[in-house]
Amino acid sequence: MTVLFTLVVQLLRRVRKFLLAAGGLLAGFQIVLILQANSIQASNSFAKMGDLVPAFARDILGPSFVAFLTFKGIVCLGYFHPVVMGALVSVSVTIATIPIMEIESGFIDLVLARPVARHWVLTRSILAATIAIVYLLVMMALGTWIGLSSFAAKDAAWPSAALVGLLAMNLGLLMLCWAAIAMAIGCACRRRGSAGAIAGLLALTAYLTDYVGRAWKPADSIAWLSPFRYYTPFELVMGSALPAKSLYVLGGIAFAAFALAYALYSRRDISH
Amino acid sequence: MLTGSAAVSISGLTKRYGTLIAVDHLDLEVKRGEVFGFLGLNGAGKTTTIRILLDLLRPTSGHASIFGHNCQSDSLRARGAVGYLPGEMGIYSDLTGHELLVFLERIGGKSVSREHRNNLTRRFELTERDLSRKLREYSTGMKRKLGLIQAFQADPPLLILDEPTEGLDPLMQESFYELLADARNRGRTVFMSSHVLPEVERVCDRIAMVRKGKVVFLSTVEDARKLASRRVRVVFGQDVAVPISLPRGYEMVEAEPRRWIVRVTGPLGSLPSFLAAFPVADLAVEEARLEDVLVKYYRDGAE
Repeated sequence: MTVLFTLVVQLLRRVRKFLLAAGGLLAGFQIVLILQANSIQASNSFAKMGDLVPAFARDILGPSFVAFLTFKGIVCLGYFHPVVMGALVSVSVTIATIPIMEIESGFIDLVLARPVARHWVLTRSILAATIAIVYLLVMMALGTWIGLSSFAAKDAAWPSAALVGLLAMNLGLLMLCWAAIAMAIGCACRRRGSAGAIAGLLALTAYLTDYVGRAWKPADSIAWLSPFRYYTPFELVMGSALPAKSLYVLGGIAFAAFALAYALYSRRDISH
Repeated sequence: MLTGSAAVSISGLTKRYGTLIAVDHLDLEVKRGEVFGFLGLNGAGKTTTIRILLDLLRPTSGHASIFGHNCQSDSLRARGAVGYLPGEMGIYSDLTGHELLVFLERIGGKSVSREHRNNLTRRFELTERDLSRKLREYSTGMKRKLGLIQAFQADPPLLILDEPTEGLDPLMQESFYELLADARNRGRTVFMSSHVLPEVERVCDRIAMVRKGKVVFLSTVEDARKLASRRVRVVFGQDVAVPISLPRGYEMVEAEPRRWIVRVTGPLGSLPSFLAAFPVADLAVEEARLEDVLVKYYRDGAE
C-alpha cells in the first residue's frame, strides 16, 4: 500500500498545476454563468428568450427546454455545457493516458525495474483520475456556491444542493467512464498522442451522436451506444430522479474498460 | 531471499517481433559475484535481453531467472534483487534529483542508507545544490550520474547496467570503475552491456558477445586476451632484407629496411630463434588487446 500511495501522490504532484488551473477555470465558469443568469433575471428576459425560440424547436427540445430557461436552468448549465464537458473529458483522457506517456518517455522503466506490479501502475492512475474528477466537480460546486451566495438576486430560485449533487454525481461517473475508455485505448497504443486522439475523437462522436439523437429520430436508434446518453441533466433539472439504469450503464462501461486496460497492460511489452 | 546458484540464468530465450528475431535461443549464465560484460553492436539484442530480465518485455519462448526467481512468473522477487540503469533515462523534468532518488527508494521497498547515498553522490560529484535542482536543468552527464546513483543506492545484490558510461566524462568514468570494483569486493554481481571494449577489458571478469540475438563468443577476459594476436616491433642495427616467408602464426604488418612490425598469433616461443639471424637492436611486444579478438566477431561473427 505504501508503494501505491507513493505512486498516487507522485502522479497527483505531477499534474497539480494542470488540475489547479482546470479547477480554477471551471469554478470561474460557474460564477460567470451565475452572473449571466442574474443579468437575465434582472431584465426579466427568460420569458422573452423562450418566445424567440421557434415552435418546432420547442417541440423537438420538449418540456425540459422550459425548465432550462430559468435562473436555476442557467446555473445548472455549467454542469452540461459543451465547454465544461469538453474540459472534463480532456482532463480524464489526459490522466488516464499517463501510463502510456510513461512508457513512451521511458520513466516507467525505472518504476517497473523495481518490485512494483504492473497493475499498481494502472490502479494508481484510476485512483488519481477519480481524485481529479471529484476535485474538479467539487471546484465546480464551490464556484456555484460562491456565485450564488455572492451575486445571485434575492428573489432568484436557486438550484437545490441535492440537484447540484446529482448532476455532479452523474457527470462524474460519465467522466470516469471516459477515463476508463481512454485508458483501455492507451493500453493498446504505442503512443500517447494516438491514444489521446482516438479517445478524443470517440468522445466527440459519442457526444454528437447523443446530441443529434435527441432531435433526430433515425440517429436516436444508435444513440444508446453513446455514454453521453446516460447523462440526463435536463431531466434532473426538471425534477426527475437520477435513473439507476444510467448509473449502472456508466459504471458497467467504466468497469469493463478498466478491466480491458488491466488485461492489455499486463500482457503488453513495455518498450519505447 | 536469494536462492538460485547463478545470479542470472537464461535458457533458450527468444524474442520475435513479427519476422524480426531480436533474441534467438540465447543461453547464458552469470555467476554470483562476477562482473559480466554483455557486448554487441547496436541492435544485437543486448537491451532486449536486459528488458526481458526485468519483465518489461515478454519472451516469445525460453526463460530467464534472477537468483532462481523466474523473471516472468516470479518477477517481483526477481526485480527485488536488482538495481537497474537503463540505456536512456526517462525522467520527469519537473522533479528534483533528490525527489527522484527518494521516490525510487520508496517504491523500491528497501530503505537506503543515507551514508551510502551520500557516498555515491560524493563519488559522482553531485552536490546538495545539484540534487535540489529540477532535472530539466541537468546536463546529459548529470542525468547519467543520477541514473547510476539510483541503481546503486539500495545496494542490490545484482546490478544490471545498460551502457553505464555513456555520456560520462573520463573522470566520472574512473569513479564508476572504482564503484564497480567496490561492488565486486562486496560480493555484488554486475551484468553490464557495453560496446566500449577497453572498458570491458578493464572491469569485467567474463564477457559474452551477442550478434543477431545469439551468443557468438563467451569467455573470461583473460582467455579472450590469449586469443588476441600481438604486435611485435623489431628495430635493426642495419638494413635487412624482408624474408620471403614467415613462420606459421606470423604476419608482416609493416616492413622497412630497419624496422618491422609483425603480428604474432599464439605464443611467442619461436620468435627469438627466428630473429637470431638478424641484427636486432630493439624489440617491443605490445600487450594483447581484447579489442583485436572481438572486432573479428563484430565484423563477421566468426566462431
